[in-house]
Amino acid sequence: MREIIKMIVVLSAICGLSGFCLSYLKQLTAPAIENQVLTYVQGPAIKQVLADTDNDPIADRKKFTNPATGKEINVFPAIKGGKLVAIALEDFGAGFGGDIGVIVGFNVENDTLAGIGVTTMKETPGLGTVVADARFTKQFKKQPMNVDLKSKGGQIDALSGATISSTGVVTAVQNAAKVYQAIKSEATGTWK
Amino acid sequence: MASMWKEFSKGLWAEIPPFRLMLGLCPTLAVTKSANNGLGMGLAVIFVLALSNAVISLIRNIIPKKVRIACYIAIAASLVVAVELLMQAYTYPLYQQLGIFVPLIVVNCIILGRAEAFAGKNPVHLSIADGLGMGIGFTMSLTFLGALREILGYGTLFGHHLFGPGFHPVHFMVEAPGAFVSLGLILACMNLMSIRKAMRRGEKPAENPMPGCESCRGCAMGRD
Repeated sequence: MREIIKMIVVLSAICGLSGFCLSYLKQLTAPAIENQVLTYVQGPAIKQVLADTDNDPIADRKKFTNPATGKEINVFPAIKGGKLVAIALEDFGAGFGGDIGVIVGFNVENDTLAGIGVTTMKETPGLGTVVADARFTKQFKKQPMNVDLKSKGGQIDALSGATISSTGVVTAVQNAAKVYQAIKSEATGTWK
Repeated sequence: MASMWKEFSKGLWAEIPPFRLMLGLCPTLAVTKSANNGLGMGLAVIFVLALSNAVISLIRNIIPKKVRIACYIAIAASLVVAVELLMQAYTYPLYQQLGIFVPLIVVNCIILGRAEAFAGKNPVHLSIADGLGMGIGFTMSLTFLGALREILGYGTLFGHHLFGPGFHPVHFMVEAPGAFVSLGLILACMNLMSIRKAMRRGEKPAENPMPGCESCRGCAMGRD
Protein backbone atom coordinates (compact mmCIF):
# COMPACT_ATOMS: atom_id res chain seq x y z
CA MET A 1 0.00 0.00 0.00
CA ARG A 2 2.81 2.40 0.95
CA GLU A 3 4.47 1.61 -2.36
CA ILE A 4 1.37 2.58 -4.33
CA ILE A 5 0.97 5.82 -2.39
CA LYS A 6 4.62 6.69 -2.99
CA MET A 7 4.24 6.06 -6.73
CA ILE A 8 1.12 8.23 -6.93
CA VAL A 9 2.68 11.06 -4.93
CA VAL A 10 5.96 11.11 -6.90
CA LEU A 11 4.25 10.97 -10.31
CA SER A 12 1.73 13.65 -9.37
CA ALA A 13 4.47 15.86 -7.97
CA ILE A 14 6.59 15.56 -11.10
CA CYS A 15 3.67 16.22 -13.44
CA GLY A 16 2.31 19.06 -11.33
CA LEU A 17 5.67 20.77 -11.06
CA SER A 18 6.41 20.48 -14.78
CA GLY A 19 2.91 21.76 -15.66
CA PHE A 20 3.48 24.76 -13.42
CA CYS A 21 6.92 25.55 -14.89
CA LEU A 22 5.74 25.11 -18.48
CA SER A 23 2.72 27.39 -18.12
CA TYR A 24 4.99 30.02 -16.59
CA LEU A 25 7.44 29.66 -19.47
CA LYS A 26 4.60 29.89 -21.99
CA GLN A 27 3.40 33.15 -20.44
CA LEU A 28 6.95 34.47 -20.45
CA THR A 29 7.58 33.72 -24.11
CA ALA A 30 4.10 34.65 -25.42
CA PRO A 31 5.01 38.18 -26.65
CA ALA A 32 8.21 36.99 -28.32
CA ILE A 33 6.35 34.13 -30.01
CA GLU A 34 3.59 36.44 -31.24
CA ASN A 35 6.22 38.70 -32.80
CA GLN A 36 8.02 35.83 -34.49
CA VAL A 37 4.81 34.33 -35.85
CA LEU A 38 3.79 37.69 -37.28
CA THR A 39 7.18 38.14 -38.91
CA TYR A 40 7.60 34.70 -40.40
CA VAL A 41 4.11 33.31 -40.94
CA GLN A 42 2.01 36.33 -41.80
CA GLY A 43 4.88 38.61 -42.79
CA PRO A 44 5.59 37.20 -46.25
CA ALA A 45 1.86 37.22 -47.14
CA ILE A 46 1.44 40.80 -45.87
CA LYS A 47 4.43 41.97 -47.88
CA GLN A 48 2.95 40.29 -50.94
CA VAL A 49 -0.44 41.97 -50.49
CA LEU A 50 0.60 45.46 -49.35
CA ALA A 51 3.57 45.81 -51.66
CA ASP A 52 4.06 49.54 -52.06
CA THR A 53 3.99 51.27 -48.67
CA ASP A 54 5.86 54.02 -46.85
CA ASN A 55 5.43 52.31 -43.49
CA ASP A 56 5.90 48.87 -41.96
CA PRO A 57 2.41 47.33 -41.83
CA ILE A 58 3.38 44.83 -39.11
CA ALA A 59 4.92 47.41 -36.80
CA ASP A 60 1.94 49.75 -37.22
CA ARG A 61 -0.64 47.05 -36.67
CA LYS A 62 -3.54 47.61 -34.28
CA LYS A 63 -6.06 45.31 -32.69
CA PHE A 64 -9.71 46.04 -33.36
CA THR A 65 -12.80 44.38 -31.94
CA ASN A 66 -15.26 43.23 -34.57
CA PRO A 67 -18.58 44.68 -33.36
CA ALA A 68 -20.52 41.89 -35.07
CA THR A 69 -18.73 38.96 -33.42
CA GLY A 70 -16.85 40.52 -30.53
CA LYS A 71 -13.57 38.93 -31.65
CA GLU A 72 -10.27 40.80 -31.62
CA ILE A 73 -8.32 40.93 -34.88
CA ASN A 74 -5.00 42.37 -36.02
CA VAL A 75 -5.33 44.95 -38.79
CA PHE A 76 -2.26 45.98 -40.82
CA PRO A 77 -2.26 49.44 -42.47
CA ALA A 78 -0.60 50.47 -45.72
CA ILE A 79 0.23 54.18 -45.68
CA LYS A 80 1.54 56.01 -48.71
CA GLY A 81 2.12 59.73 -49.03
CA GLY A 82 0.83 60.23 -45.48
CA LYS A 83 -2.59 58.76 -46.30
CA LEU A 84 -4.09 55.37 -45.53
CA VAL A 85 -4.42 53.54 -48.86
CA ALA A 86 -5.16 49.96 -47.83
CA ILE A 87 -5.63 47.73 -44.82
CA ALA A 88 -5.03 43.99 -44.53
CA LEU A 89 -6.40 41.41 -42.14
CA GLU A 90 -6.30 37.66 -41.80
CA ASP A 91 -9.28 35.33 -41.97
CA PHE A 92 -9.86 31.62 -42.43
CA GLY A 93 -11.91 29.34 -44.68
CA ALA A 94 -12.44 25.58 -44.48
CA GLY A 95 -10.14 23.81 -46.93
CA PHE A 96 -9.48 20.15 -47.62
CA GLY A 97 -7.16 19.47 -44.67
CA GLY A 98 -8.34 22.11 -42.24
CA ASP A 99 -8.63 25.87 -42.17
CA ILE A 100 -6.73 27.91 -44.77
CA GLY A 101 -5.43 31.22 -43.41
CA VAL A 102 -5.54 34.10 -45.90
CA ILE A 103 -4.34 37.68 -45.55
CA VAL A 104 -6.75 39.87 -47.52
CA GLY A 105 -5.91 43.44 -48.46
CA PHE A 106 -8.62 46.05 -49.10
CA ASN A 107 -8.17 49.38 -50.88
CA VAL A 108 -9.97 51.84 -48.60
CA GLU A 109 -10.83 54.31 -51.36
CA ASN A 110 -13.01 52.11 -53.53
CA ASP A 111 -13.49 49.01 -51.35
CA THR A 112 -11.79 46.69 -53.84
CA LEU A 113 -9.36 43.88 -53.04
CA ALA A 114 -5.70 44.85 -53.03
CA GLY A 115 -4.73 41.19 -53.22
CA ILE A 116 -4.47 38.04 -51.11
CA GLY A 117 -1.72 35.91 -49.63
CA VAL A 118 -2.01 32.47 -48.02
CA THR A 119 -0.45 32.12 -44.56
CA THR A 120 -1.25 28.66 -43.20
CA MET A 121 -2.72 25.58 -44.82
CA LYS A 122 -2.67 21.80 -44.67
CA GLU A 123 -3.73 21.10 -48.25
CA THR A 124 -2.60 18.29 -50.52
CA PRO A 125 0.94 19.06 -51.69
CA GLY A 126 1.05 19.80 -55.41
CA LEU A 127 -2.74 19.99 -55.76
CA GLY A 128 -4.36 22.07 -53.03
CA THR A 129 -1.18 23.93 -52.12
CA VAL A 130 -1.20 25.59 -55.56
CA VAL A 131 -3.83 28.02 -54.19
CA ALA A 132 -0.91 29.84 -52.57
CA ASP A 133 0.80 30.40 -55.91
CA ALA A 134 0.62 33.65 -57.84
CA ARG A 135 -1.35 32.09 -60.68
CA PHE A 136 -4.33 31.62 -58.36
CA THR A 137 -3.94 34.59 -56.03
CA LYS A 138 -3.42 37.18 -58.78
CA GLN A 139 -7.05 36.68 -59.82
CA PHE A 140 -8.13 38.50 -56.65
CA LYS A 141 -6.34 41.77 -57.40
CA LYS A 142 -8.69 44.71 -58.00
CA GLN A 143 -11.81 42.56 -57.68
CA PRO A 144 -14.81 43.92 -55.78
CA MET A 145 -15.22 42.74 -52.21
CA ASN A 146 -17.91 40.15 -52.83
CA VAL A 147 -15.93 37.63 -54.89
CA ASP A 148 -17.08 34.15 -55.66
CA LEU A 149 -16.07 31.20 -57.81
CA LYS A 150 -17.05 31.20 -61.48
CA SER A 151 -19.09 28.06 -60.85
CA LYS A 152 -21.28 30.13 -58.52
CA GLY A 153 -21.56 33.13 -60.84
CA GLY A 154 -18.47 34.98 -59.69
CA GLN A 155 -15.14 35.93 -61.19
CA ILE A 156 -12.60 33.50 -59.71
CA ASP A 157 -11.47 30.41 -61.62
CA ALA A 158 -11.12 27.45 -59.29
CA LEU A 159 -8.05 25.24 -59.71
CA SER A 160 -8.75 21.97 -61.47
CA GLY A 161 -8.33 19.11 -59.03
CA ALA A 162 -8.44 21.50 -56.05
CA THR A 163 -12.05 22.65 -55.86
CA ILE A 164 -12.32 22.40 -52.08
CA SER A 165 -9.06 24.27 -51.52
CA SER A 166 -10.16 27.01 -53.96
CA THR A 167 -13.55 27.27 -52.23
CA GLY A 168 -11.75 27.49 -48.87
CA VAL A 169 -9.70 30.48 -50.02
CA VAL A 170 -12.79 32.21 -51.46
CA THR A 171 -14.67 31.61 -48.20
CA ALA A 172 -11.77 33.13 -46.28
CA VAL A 173 -11.87 36.21 -48.51
CA GLN A 174 -15.65 36.53 -48.06
CA ASN A 175 -15.26 36.25 -44.26
CA ALA A 176 -12.52 38.87 -44.34
CA ALA A 177 -14.75 41.17 -46.39
CA LYS A 178 -17.47 40.92 -43.73
CA VAL A 179 -14.96 41.87 -41.03
CA TYR A 180 -13.64 44.73 -43.16
CA GLN A 181 -17.10 46.18 -43.56
CA ALA A 182 -17.67 45.93 -39.82
CA ILE A 183 -14.44 47.69 -38.77
CA LYS A 184 -13.81 50.00 -41.75
CA SER A 185 -15.02 53.21 -40.17
CA GLU A 186 -13.04 52.58 -36.97
CA ALA A 187 -9.89 51.69 -38.89
CA THR A 188 -10.00 54.63 -41.29
CA GLY A 189 -10.62 56.88 -38.29
CA THR A 190 -7.50 55.60 -36.52
CA TRP A 191 -5.07 56.01 -39.40
CA LYS A 192 -6.28 59.07 -41.25
CA MET B 1 37.49 15.13 -12.41
CA ALA B 2 39.03 12.34 -14.45
CA SER B 3 35.84 10.34 -14.25
CA MET B 4 33.85 13.36 -15.49
CA TRP B 5 36.12 13.61 -18.52
CA LYS B 6 35.80 9.88 -19.14
CA GLU B 7 31.99 10.04 -19.12
CA PHE B 8 32.02 13.15 -21.29
CA SER B 9 34.49 11.93 -23.90
CA LYS B 10 32.92 8.54 -24.52
CA GLY B 11 29.96 10.22 -26.20
CA LEU B 12 32.29 12.01 -28.60
CA TRP B 13 33.71 8.98 -30.39
CA ALA B 14 33.79 5.57 -28.71
CA GLU B 15 30.07 5.52 -27.95
CA ILE B 16 28.78 8.19 -30.35
CA PRO B 17 24.98 7.85 -30.32
CA PRO B 18 23.85 7.46 -33.91
CA PHE B 19 26.91 5.74 -35.37
CA ARG B 20 27.96 3.36 -32.58
CA LEU B 21 25.14 3.04 -30.07
CA MET B 22 22.64 3.09 -32.97
CA LEU B 23 20.36 5.38 -30.98
CA GLY B 24 18.41 8.34 -32.37
CA LEU B 25 18.49 7.19 -35.98
CA CYS B 26 15.08 8.64 -36.85
CA PRO B 27 16.03 12.33 -36.57
CA THR B 28 19.49 11.50 -37.93
CA LEU B 29 17.93 10.43 -41.20
CA ALA B 30 15.08 12.93 -41.30
CA VAL B 31 16.50 16.35 -40.44
CA THR B 32 19.92 16.10 -42.08
CA LYS B 33 18.89 17.60 -45.42
CA SER B 34 21.10 20.55 -44.59
CA ALA B 35 23.95 21.11 -42.16
CA ASN B 36 22.08 24.00 -40.51
CA ASN B 37 19.07 21.84 -39.67
CA GLY B 38 21.31 19.07 -38.34
CA LEU B 39 23.12 21.57 -36.12
CA GLY B 40 19.89 23.11 -34.85
CA MET B 41 18.37 19.73 -33.99
CA GLY B 42 21.61 18.68 -32.29
CA LEU B 43 21.64 21.79 -30.11
CA ALA B 44 18.03 21.18 -29.05
CA VAL B 45 18.94 17.59 -28.12
CA ILE B 46 22.00 18.73 -26.09
CA PHE B 47 19.73 21.02 -24.07
CA VAL B 48 17.12 18.33 -23.44
CA LEU B 49 19.60 15.49 -22.83
CA ALA B 50 21.87 17.35 -20.40
CA LEU B 51 19.01 18.78 -18.36
CA SER B 52 17.03 15.54 -18.41
CA ASN B 53 20.06 13.58 -17.20
CA ALA B 54 20.69 16.19 -14.48
CA VAL B 55 17.10 16.27 -13.19
CA ILE B 56 16.69 12.49 -13.28
CA SER B 57 19.98 12.00 -11.50
CA LEU B 58 18.95 14.54 -8.84
CA ILE B 59 15.75 12.69 -7.98
CA ARG B 60 16.95 9.17 -8.77
CA ASN B 61 16.54 8.06 -5.16
CA ILE B 62 12.95 9.27 -4.92
CA ILE B 63 11.66 7.74 -8.14
CA PRO B 64 10.04 4.37 -7.38
CA LYS B 65 11.48 1.62 -9.58
CA LYS B 66 8.14 0.48 -10.91
CA VAL B 67 7.16 3.85 -12.43
CA ARG B 68 10.63 5.02 -13.40
CA ILE B 69 9.98 4.97 -17.17
CA ALA B 70 6.84 7.08 -16.73
CA CYS B 71 8.79 9.60 -14.64
CA TYR B 72 11.66 9.76 -17.14
CA ILE B 73 9.24 10.38 -20.00
CA ALA B 74 7.34 13.06 -18.04
CA ILE B 75 10.58 14.91 -17.36
CA ALA B 76 11.86 14.54 -20.94
CA ALA B 77 8.50 15.67 -22.37
CA SER B 78 8.43 18.80 -20.19
CA LEU B 79 11.94 19.71 -21.28
CA VAL B 80 11.02 19.20 -24.94
CA VAL B 81 7.97 21.48 -24.59
CA ALA B 82 10.27 24.07 -23.01
CA VAL B 83 12.71 23.76 -25.93
CA GLU B 84 9.81 24.09 -28.38
CA LEU B 85 8.59 27.30 -26.74
CA LEU B 86 12.11 28.75 -26.71
CA MET B 87 12.62 27.86 -30.37
CA GLN B 88 9.31 29.44 -31.33
CA ALA B 89 10.24 32.57 -29.42
CA TYR B 90 13.81 33.05 -30.64
CA THR B 91 14.56 30.93 -33.71
CA TYR B 92 11.25 30.62 -35.56
CA PRO B 93 12.66 29.80 -39.05
CA LEU B 94 14.62 26.86 -37.58
CA TYR B 95 11.46 25.70 -35.81
CA GLN B 96 9.56 25.83 -39.12
CA GLN B 97 12.30 23.79 -40.81
CA LEU B 98 12.48 21.09 -38.13
CA GLY B 99 8.69 20.87 -38.01
CA ILE B 100 7.38 17.76 -36.31
CA PHE B 101 10.82 16.47 -35.31
CA VAL B 102 11.09 18.87 -32.38
CA PRO B 103 8.24 17.24 -30.42
CA LEU B 104 9.63 13.86 -31.52
CA ILE B 105 12.77 14.51 -29.42
CA VAL B 106 10.71 13.14 -26.50
CA VAL B 107 10.77 9.65 -27.97
CA ASN B 108 14.34 9.94 -29.18
CA CYS B 109 15.98 6.74 -27.92
CA ILE B 110 19.02 8.63 -26.70
CA ILE B 111 17.07 10.52 -24.04
CA LEU B 112 15.34 7.49 -22.56
CA GLY B 113 18.34 5.24 -23.16
CA ARG B 114 20.79 7.41 -21.23
CA ALA B 115 18.23 8.06 -18.50
CA GLU B 116 17.71 4.36 -17.96
CA ALA B 117 21.31 3.24 -18.47
CA PHE B 118 23.16 6.04 -16.73
CA ALA B 119 21.33 8.91 -15.08
CA GLY B 120 19.12 6.64 -13.01
CA LYS B 121 22.15 5.12 -11.29
CA ASN B 122 24.88 7.74 -11.23
CA PRO B 123 25.57 11.04 -9.44
CA VAL B 124 24.60 14.39 -10.91
CA HIS B 125 27.97 15.65 -12.13
CA LEU B 126 28.70 12.42 -14.01
CA SER B 127 25.19 12.37 -15.50
CA ILE B 128 25.56 15.92 -16.77
CA ALA B 129 28.92 15.03 -18.29
CA ASP B 130 27.41 11.96 -19.95
CA GLY B 131 24.46 13.96 -21.28
CA LEU B 132 26.69 16.72 -22.64
CA GLY B 133 29.07 14.24 -24.25
CA MET B 134 26.31 12.25 -25.92
CA GLY B 135 24.56 15.43 -27.01
CA ILE B 136 27.69 16.93 -28.52
CA GLY B 137 28.49 13.62 -30.24
CA PHE B 138 24.95 13.54 -31.63
CA THR B 139 25.28 17.14 -32.84
CA MET B 140 28.60 16.41 -34.54
CA SER B 141 27.16 13.34 -36.31
CA LEU B 142 24.07 15.21 -37.46
CA THR B 143 26.05 18.21 -38.68
CA PHE B 144 28.50 15.92 -40.49
CA LEU B 145 25.77 13.90 -42.20
CA GLY B 146 23.79 17.07 -42.93
CA ALA B 147 26.85 18.73 -44.46
CA LEU B 148 27.57 15.64 -46.58
CA ARG B 149 24.03 15.47 -47.90
CA GLU B 150 23.81 19.22 -48.42
CA ILE B 151 27.12 19.47 -50.32
CA LEU B 152 26.28 16.58 -52.65
CA GLY B 153 22.55 17.23 -52.88
CA TYR B 154 22.39 21.03 -53.20
CA GLY B 155 25.97 22.15 -53.70
CA THR B 156 25.82 24.45 -50.68
CA LEU B 157 27.13 24.33 -47.12
CA PHE B 158 25.19 26.23 -44.43
CA GLY B 159 23.52 28.04 -47.31
CA HIS B 160 26.71 29.18 -49.03
CA HIS B 161 27.23 27.94 -52.57
CA LEU B 162 30.48 26.03 -52.86
CA PHE B 163 30.70 25.18 -56.51
CA GLY B 164 30.21 27.15 -59.68
CA PRO B 165 27.17 26.88 -61.95
CA GLY B 166 28.65 23.86 -63.73
CA PHE B 167 28.08 21.59 -60.72
CA HIS B 168 25.15 19.19 -61.09
CA PRO B 169 23.89 18.26 -57.63
CA VAL B 170 22.97 14.65 -56.91
CA HIS B 171 19.36 15.16 -55.81
CA PHE B 172 19.21 11.56 -54.58
CA MET B 173 21.27 12.61 -51.55
CA VAL B 174 18.60 14.84 -50.07
CA GLU B 175 15.82 12.32 -50.51
CA ALA B 176 15.05 9.57 -48.00
CA PRO B 177 16.94 6.76 -49.79
CA GLY B 178 20.05 8.92 -49.93
CA ALA B 179 19.92 9.30 -46.16
CA PHE B 180 19.85 5.55 -45.61
CA VAL B 181 22.66 4.95 -48.08
CA SER B 182 24.85 7.66 -46.52
CA LEU B 183 24.23 6.32 -43.02
CA GLY B 184 25.07 2.80 -44.14
CA LEU B 185 28.32 3.93 -45.74
CA ILE B 186 29.32 5.89 -42.64
CA LEU B 187 28.65 2.87 -40.42
CA ALA B 188 30.69 0.67 -42.76
CA CYS B 189 33.61 3.15 -42.55
CA MET B 190 33.44 3.22 -38.77
CA ASN B 191 33.41 -0.58 -38.61
CA LEU B 192 36.41 -0.65 -40.93
CA MET B 193 38.26 1.76 -38.66
CA SER B 194 37.54 -0.40 -35.59
CA ILE B 195 38.72 -3.54 -37.39
CA ARG B 196 41.94 -1.85 -38.54
CA LYS B 197 42.58 -0.52 -35.02
CA ALA B 198 42.12 -3.97 -33.51
CA MET B 199 44.42 -5.56 -36.12
CA ARG B 200 47.10 -2.95 -35.47
CA ARG B 201 46.97 -3.80 -31.79
CA GLY B 202 47.38 -7.45 -32.70
CA GLU B 203 43.97 -8.47 -31.34
CA LYS B 204 41.43 -10.44 -33.26
CA PRO B 205 38.71 -8.03 -34.50
CA ALA B 206 35.31 -8.61 -32.88
CA GLU B 207 32.58 -10.38 -34.85
CA ASN B 208 30.36 -7.36 -34.57
CA PRO B 209 32.39 -4.23 -33.74
CA MET B 210 29.40 -2.21 -32.53
CA PRO B 211 29.42 -1.75 -28.73
CA GLY B 212 25.71 -1.15 -28.84
CA CYS B 213 24.20 -3.81 -26.67
CA GLU B 214 26.66 -4.00 -23.75
CA SER B 215 26.69 -0.29 -22.97
CA CYS B 216 22.93 0.22 -23.24
CA ARG B 217 21.89 -2.08 -20.39
CA GLY B 218 18.32 -1.21 -21.28
CA CYS B 219 17.07 -4.77 -21.45
CA ALA B 220 18.41 -8.13 -20.36
CA MET B 221 20.18 -8.81 -23.66
CA GLY B 222 23.47 -7.09 -22.97
CA ARG B 223 23.90 -8.57 -19.55
CA ASP B 224 25.31 -12.04 -20.32
